[in-house]
Amino acid sequence: MDGLALTSDLPLVESSARDADVALVRRAVGGEAAAFEQLYRRHAGRVHGTILRLVGMDRARAEELTQDAFVQAWRKLGSFRHESAFATWLHRLGVNIALMDLRIRRDEQAMDDDDLQAAAGGEVSFCAAERGDLERAVAALPTRARAVLVLHDVEGFKHEEISAELGMAVGSSKAQLHRARGLLRRALGGEK
Amino acid sequence: MSIDNEFAWRSELRKLGGAAEPQRDLWPQIAARIAVRPATQRWRMGLGLAATLIMACGIATIGWRTQSGSMQPVAATAPAHDAAGLAADSAPLAWAVPASPVLAAASRDLDSASVQLQQALETHPQAVFLVGLLNRTNAQRMRLLRQAPNA
Repeated sequence: MDGLALTSDLPLVESSARDADVALVRRAVGGEAAAFEQLYRRHAGRVHGTILRLVGMDRARAEELTQDAFVQAWRKLGSFRHESAFATWLHRLGVNIALMDLRIRRDEQAMDDDDLQAAAGGEVSFCAAERGDLERAVAALPTRARAVLVLHDVEGFKHEEISAELGMAVGSSKAQLHRARGLLRRALGGEK
Repeated sequence: MSIDNEFAWRSELRKLGGAAEPQRDLWPQIAARIAVRPATQRWRMGLGLAATLIMACGIATIGWRTQSGSMQPVAATAPAHDAAGLAADSAPLAWAVPASPVLAAASRDLDSASVQLQQALETHPQAVFLVGLLNRTNAQRMRLLRQAPNA
């Protein structure tokens, strides 16, 4: 099988996965926990990954919030209308849970640039930065700046969506993104 | 690659996305927390059960009263001819049968109840309450028909 054939099969794979989700959701709505477990197995990685980045790579907290997201999903399954893919709906639910937690904790702390550089491993060029360096630098960002950067640059949200999720003006979302990128640049040594 | 290159920046950050499996299996805790059936399902089941019980009780009561011949008019002061006059407006209707097997079964039950009420009214034309029951049955039948427009 050549590359072209693989590429053309991708929509079919996605469609098949979506159909499988629809069937599992219907069974879960009927009270079948085993079907919901399969949904958990299929989607836990993506939901947990997003939450993990939003909470600054705090693994214990991310696991707790991932649990919360799936419990909420189970409770709200009856209201899921299949207007979007289940994966999209669940991902958005996970983001909401994480952002709610961030709002509750209100742990916005002003970190000075030395702390950010230390978290990023010191003076390294952006080109040489490994994934781990970048992850640590993002995790060390102030909470709101991190949330905006992760949602916009990593998860692909638009500023309008971010402002709605975080309860801030669109302009504030753009300002937080600018701030987050500036802090990252300094942490990764891209700006002296 | 420069950090000022927007494309390179986005590309590097997008690489951070994607799945990251939890370090432990979270399912046992989730399963323990969802052991109780979702509230929406409990509500729906309760509503369905209540509707079924009301219908079953209504039909059973009508059947019992018709067979025992012990029916008494509820509205004692109502003129005797009222029920008969109202009953004339409630002659059996030719309802369409829904295509759905579930709705068809429910429609058969309602039609049967309607026929029994009509017979009871013929025997006891002064029983005003039977007209009320007949009207409710017909209203339910109409709602059922609306839910199955392809009947």
